[in-house]
Amino acid sequence: MATLEIKKVRKNYGTLEVIHGIDLFINNGEFCVLVGPSGCGKSTLLRMIAGLEQITKGDILIDNQVVNNISAARRGLAMVFQSYALYPHMSVRQNLAFGLENLKMKIEEIDRRILEAARLLRMEEYLQRKPGQLSGGQKQRVAIGRAIVREPSIYLFDEPLSNLDAELRVATRVELKALHARLGNTMIYVTHDQVEAMTMADKIVVMNDGIIEQVGAPLELYNKPSNKFVAGFIGSPKMNFIQFDYLPNSLKEKAPPNSISLGIRPEHLSIKDENSLLLNVETVEQLGSDSFLYGTTSGEQKISIKLNYQTDIQANQSIKVGFKLDDAHWFDKDGIALTS
Amino acid sequence: MSAVLKFLSRTQGKNGPALVDWISYIYLLLGFLIIFLPVLWLLLNSIKSQFLLQKLDTNILPLDYDRVVRATVFGPEGKEIFIMKDMPEWVIYWNELRDEDKKNENNPNEFISNYEGKEYYALRTHLGLVSDHAKKLIKQKNLPEWLIKYPSMFPDAKKEYDPQEFLTNLNEEEIRLMSEFLGIKPYKPNGFTSQILISAINPETNKLEEYSVSRLNNNKDTVNARLISNPQGGIVKLQTQDIIVNKKLRPSWINYSDPLTNNVRGMSFDAVKCLSNSLFVTIVATIITVLINSMAAFALSKYKFNGQIIFFIIILATLMVPASVLIVGIFKMVSMTGLNGSLWGVIIPGAATPTGVFMLRQYMLTIPDELLEAARMDAASEWSIYWKIVFPLALPAIAVLGILSIIWRWNDLILPMIAVSTTKTAYTIQLCLLDFQGEYVAQEHYRLAMTVVSLIPTTLVFVFLQRYITTGIANTGIK
Ligand SMILES: Nc1ncnc2c1ncn2[C@@H]1O[C@H](COP(=O)(O)OP(=O)(O)OP(=O)(O)O)[C@@H](O)[C@H]1O
Ligand SMILES: [Mg+2]
Repeated sequence: MATLEIKKVRKNYGTLEVIHGIDLFINNGEFCVLVGPSGCGKSTLLRMIAGLEQITKGDILIDNQVVNNISAARRGLAMVFQSYALYPHMSVRQNLAFGLENLKMKIEEIDRRILEAARLLRMEEYLQRKPGQLSGGQKQRVAIGRAIVREPSIYLFDEPLSNLDAELRVATRVELKALHARLGNTMIYVTHDQVEAMTMADKIVVMNDGIIEQVGAPLELYNKPSNKFVAGFIGSPKMNFIQFDYLPNSLKEKAPPNSISLGIRPEHLSIKDENSLLLNVETVEQLGSDSFLYGTTSGEQKISIKLNYQTDIQANQSIKVGFKLDDAHWFDKDGIALTS
Repeated sequence: MSAVLKFLSRTQGKNGPALVDWISYIYLLLGFLIIFLPVLWLLLNSIKSQFLLQKLDTNILPLDYDRVVRATVFGPEGKEIFIMKDMPEWVIYWNELRDEDKKNENNPNEFISNYEGKEYYALRTHLGLVSDHAKKLIKQKNLPEWLIKYPSMFPDAKKEYDPQEFLTNLNEEEIRLMSEFLGIKPYKPNGFTSQILISAINPETNKLEEYSVSRLNNNKDTVNARLISNPQGGIVKLQTQDIIVNKKLRPSWINYSDPLTNNVRGMSFDAVKCLSNSLFVTIVATIITVLINSMAAFALSKYKFNGQIIFFIIILATLMVPASVLIVGIFKMVSMTGLNGSLWGVIIPGAATPTGVFMLRQYMLTIPDELLEAARMDAASEWSIYWKIVFPLALPAIAVLGILSIIWRWNDLILPMIAVSTTKTAYTIQLCLLDFQGEYVAQEHYRLAMTVVSLIPTTLVFVFLQRYITTGIANTGIK
């Protein structure tokens, strides 16, 4: 049980700065998800928290204690790696016991913890096997189990599900969430899958290029993105952005001052005249329950629409699509969201 | 069993062997023979008797011939050559017998009493009875003690004594014995050499007769032979294809048993000591080599520090210095540190090898850093990361290094020569083998046999460690 505080943390690799000053506070028991495009520095930040990477500038505090110079071994955290990083020459049991033996724990206590974790993660049958003889999902469980037996104050996960197939990923996601509910520990979870982020997080941290773009609860980010990056990053399919100049005059009037672009989510567009844009449909995708339309409006602005019914609209047809003004997002020239 | 047969008889062709099968099998067979034949040759030669080896026998099997004895006796009448047949085996092989067999099973004194004249003299020398009889005579006749030592004196010392005056009182037989013992002219030590008995048509009489031959060489057209019924008649040349030779399989196990029981004439060969010295050097040196090299490789592959590349390059650069250049340097270091004469002087100079460091470093680079980070998160010390994670995972490469080190250490001659050549008790097996090629005695039969013995450990090592080379690589646990 612990809080984590990150103060003005920077990271340089040689002369290259990859984390440009990050401030973050994570509450006790919170499930915090770091998302962001590839290469934005999520892993680097997580590894600095873990103590595997030196902090160039700033402070990291666990339970209000600065841990900058405390080694990974003594921070009392546990990490689940993307590649699982199980020790290939040890059996599952030895993998789980290794960390505890290093802490000179009593054998009975080690056995007790391993049994408990094995029961929790349903891996009793393969405790004696080597990692090479396990499936991807089983390895995943062992990796999580290795963290659990340590009873760490904070769990760190670096894209733990990215090597699983889609079905298993959903199942493990649910399990992890249940595990968090049960253990109640602080967890920091890195992913670039926004479904994982939306479904699991108490708090999402959206990172881009070494800085934090926005921190908030999942729906808060969806409903009130504070800038264009977050608006585009959260939600699938992506939000449509239309440059102010290409909007019909009726819409320009309704925009807040200094607007440079309009953002509207595909699921908020429908075929109606209210606040409408003229759309040349280029592709139609019918998924049965939903239909997706892709096309362009004036100025070759690309637009996608999600309809939650089957449609008879064909490609090369021209239609009018409209939206409720409440669903519109307006951004100024720096991409900052404006309130209308 | 049937599974093995099925496996071995698999073919690429659907019905019966195809061309590829033939080529593969021929290739495999050739490779096998190229490797195996020299070993087989060594094995079979190691059980040939000294007699056969000295005759440069070219048979594959240790086939011994019917032997006769060509005796040469020196006396007042001059040199006399004659042939003796029907000698019992133990007499012919007297010099190849072990001491205890000589004493326990046979009684040369009894045997010799059946003979007289020149044959008696020849046998007396051959069976080593001259000095026994002479010493007995000296006691019996109360001759001076120094006569016993006289044969082994330096020429200068011999001048001070005159044995001649004591011989005058003796009878003819006794004079002959004492003269042979003391080496007084015209008496010289009598010759007694085994020769090969063959039969061939005598070109002069056209009858089948027996000849004695000192050497058979099937590659030559003729053999030099001596007619047994007339040995003084000199050497005749016989056509190789016309002669009849009797051969008998007769492995000479004493090649092994004599040196292994420290029973070699003219020198002391302590096989147990030699082998245990080698074993000690090999095991200890290999352990140290593996530890030092793997630690260096661990540091070079898994840590980032200033001068990492420089260190690596320096280590690799030592590969370019030929070993022979280092001999003097190593000798000086060994003697200055007082390690000469001690097995540690053999072990320490070769403990760190650039090839080993390079090989292990390259292998360790393939161990994912995430494993080490996981271990760090698991509160492992750097030592236990090395010992419990990196070392076991690098085992396939370490096994290779271990095997190379064992073979190198076991066969090494240079470092033992530098460090312990003056200390007989610290000889390794390779130095001991050199001893068989002495200044006066060449005991090739022992050397061959002991070479075979010295091959056993390296062979065993290969058999037991080779599986490590193939396992391990397969199960790198990162998914
Ligand atoms: N050891 C290193 N040396 C130099 N640059 C590095 C090093 N490690 C990471 N970087 C750089 O730091 C930046 C952030 O890397 P990081 O691994 O944190 O990205 P990420 O957000 O985890 O991406 P992904 O989602 O693909 O895992 C990248 O631009 C990367 O190139
Ligand atoms: Mg990453």
